[in-house]
Amino acid sequence: MSVSPLALAARSPRRTLLYALPVIAVLLVLPWVADQYSTILLAYGLVMAIAALGFNLLLVYTGLLSFGHSAYFGVGAYAVAMMVKYLKVSSMELFVVGAIVASAAVSALFGFVCVRYTRIFFSILTLALSQVLWSLAFKFFWITGGTDGLRVPTPSLLGVTPGGDKIAFLARGYYYYVLVLFLACAAVMWVIVNSPFGKALQAIRDNETRASFVGVQIWRCRWVAFVVSGVFTGLAGALWVPLNGLTTPDILHWQFSGEIVFMTVLGGFRTFAGPIVGAVVFNYLKTYAVGYTVYWQLLLGVILVTLVLSLPTGIVGMVERLTERVRRRRATAS
Amino acid sequence: MGEVNRRDFLSTLGVSVGTALSATAGAALPVVGVAHAQEKPKGNIPDTPFKIGHMTFFSGPAAVLGEPMYRGQLLASEEINAQGGLLGKRKIEVLKADENAGTDANVKELRRLKLSEKIDFFCGITSSGNTPALGPVAEELKLLTIFVDGCTDLLFDKAVPNPHYIFRVTNMQSADGVTAAVAAAQTWPKAKKIAHIHPDYSYGRNAFDHWTITFKKLMPQAENVSEGWPKLGTTDFSSHITKAIASKPDLLATSVWGGDYVAFYKQALRYGMFSKMKVASMIAFGVAPHAIGKDHPEGIIAGVHSNYHFTYPAGDRWPYNKTFVEKYNKRFNEYPNFQAEGGYTATYLLKSAIERANKLAGGWPEDDAIIAMLEGLMMAAPAGYVYIRPDNHQGYKDAVTGFSKNVAEYPFPVLDPDRIITIPIRNITAPPGWPKGEPTSTYTWIDKTWPKVKA
Repeated sequence: MSVSPLALAARSPRRTLLYALPVIAVLLVLPWVADQYSTILLAYGLVMAIAALGFNLLLVYTGLLSFGHSAYFGVGAYAVAMMVKYLKVSSMELFVVGAIVASAAVSALFGFVCVRYTRIFFSILTLALSQVLWSLAFKFFWITGGTDGLRVPTPSLLGVTPGGDKIAFLARGYYYYVLVLFLACAAVMWVIVNSPFGKALQAIRDNETRASFVGVQIWRCRWVAFVVSGVFTGLAGALWVPLNGLTTPDILHWQFSGEIVFMTVLGGFRTFAGPIVGAVVFNYLKTYAVGYTVYWQLLLGVILVTLVLSLPTGIVGMVERLTERVRRRRATAS
Repeated sequence: MGEVNRRDFLSTLGVSVGTALSATAGAALPVVGVAHAQEKPKGNIPDTPFKIGHMTFFSGPAAVLGEPMYRGQLLASEEINAQGGLLGKRKIEVLKADENAGTDANVKELRRLKLSEKIDFFCGITSSGNTPALGPVAEELKLLTIFVDGCTDLLFDKAVPNPHYIFRVTNMQSADGVTAAVAAAQTWPKAKKIAHIHPDYSYGRNAFDHWTITFKKLMPQAENVSEGWPKLGTTDFSSHITKAIASKPDLLATSVWGGDYVAFYKQALRYGMFSKMKVASMIAFGVAPHAIGKDHPEGIIAGVHSNYHFTYPAGDRWPYNKTFVEKYNKRFNEYPNFQAEGGYTATYLLKSAIERANKLAGGWPEDDAIIAMLEGLMMAAPAGYVYIRPDNHQGYKDAVTGFSKNVAEYPFPVLDPDRIITIPIRNITAPPGWPKGEPTSTYTWIDKTWPKVKA
């Protein structure tokens, strides 16, 4: 626990950009270098990174562990699928707007109930509410398609209807679409956590009583954080559907919430970049684990246990610790 | 449509109950050659391996039903490789993928198999929740595919109404509910109160719908008195069993399958359920045969997904089956289920189509040539003749079901060899050109064209 969660948040915007620019450059060039499959897989990872960023706003900055983020992801995805089925919409921009509105509405309602509680009570409530949505999607099959789910055809991007090869579409046009939205989300989240509002959230997390003495409206701040977190996750859900081609109740199930928690722990939830790295890495990890062994559940379980026992700060935390150690050794050597 | 007598109508359906004729010892029966004699292929054939991606359940309660599918394909591939491979040159490599990872992970895995592993052919799939998800993806990937199961009508009715790259070999799901209902109507024509226990997803609802529409026609006096919908993969059926018993039915219809069915029948035994009512199942004996114990009750309609049970056709009547069962048993030390037969047959369908295409044009055939040969292909397989209908790429073979019975030869119950029920498939599925219907084409076809029998 040597890395303070505040250490990174205090970084200046210029320094953050300095770290981010090479990464952005690589992400931009990638579809021209890597094969189609790797690019599509990375698009999945970036989509999940948006969800993990939203989740982490609650976990690390507000100190609330949600075990029900599948709900907002699912609402985003089902909002898109319903727009296709009932409104015959095919524009990705309308999907994004629809998903944001729907996930904001649902997270505002669920948040209203949940943020009155903290710790385990909060976690259990979020889990229970997400399971309600899951069973609705599961049981009302004449509306939601039940376990067969709802199909979402290739959407139009910025008014352009793509023709022909779906794989080429996903690996080029759609990848960039996801990348732009991911960068926008990361920037917005960075601004949020470094704003006075973000500081207020951290104050609440560290000491609720003191924060209220300073005049922070605890309940309201938590509720707003909850809604923002839900909207990020909902947007990720909307971007995920065209990649997957259909939405099923699986993404509303609590196990999917567990995967979002896993990603964040894997990347390191004490840092801003942790959930992003975790989401991308988890996506590769699960895909290849499923592909190479029938014991993939065992493999993922062992990784999770090892992670919690030996790398509590996750991948990003470990890298930081290593670079810190190298720097210190160099300092003592010179 | 005037009213007809039930027995007359059943005879027009061609339902036959007959003995499976075990081979008479010492009888001088001609030895029928089933070795697939190979002509020399035309043109230049590359010797690069032919990669098959096979996805089925390798973990979870569905594995006792799904995993034999992989074994069937593996056996066929080994046989083909022993003869030098496809067209005598291309050895088959089978890559495994676990269907239990969930629908969304399966979509990713299918893309990985094609784009990263560069498979030539995709096969497998057990759950009917997965084919409507993977079918469109296989079409997008332009990947030649034969689904073994995942037999929901939805796939070719709605998800991919005009398939090009994808096919399916085992019988359509609607045939399952209809077969069980026809068999039950014939066996217990006086049943009035029907209870249902079906898994709570598309397969269970499909079985329920087709049973109900068939009973509406064949058994107008019967009514559904109780419905139980356990979640797929559940291990506790007690509430559903007690609910069914409490409704005092004459007959229980159930489509619980795989490891779920094993848990279900063992719990039902504890409640004495089988002595309180008759039971008709769509898929009780769909699992690998050894998964069912000798404690399983006798005399229930123990469905095999309307496809295949390894004891039928028996003996030398249909040597394809005899040799298949022997080879499978020798290789894996167990007996095949309908999925094993499906995986085996799918592989030989592919082989046959490739050889036909080669005969016409020479060299290694393009996918489109293989597809053209698969469309309308009819082939003798262990279960009997299988026909691939060209319009919907669906496999059709005569439906089979029967009654559970313990016999001395096997350490598990089998279908009573004296009372195997077979129904010509064209009499219980919608014909080509029938408009796509809701919930399925077969449903609307039965509703509109079958007469109602006299109560």
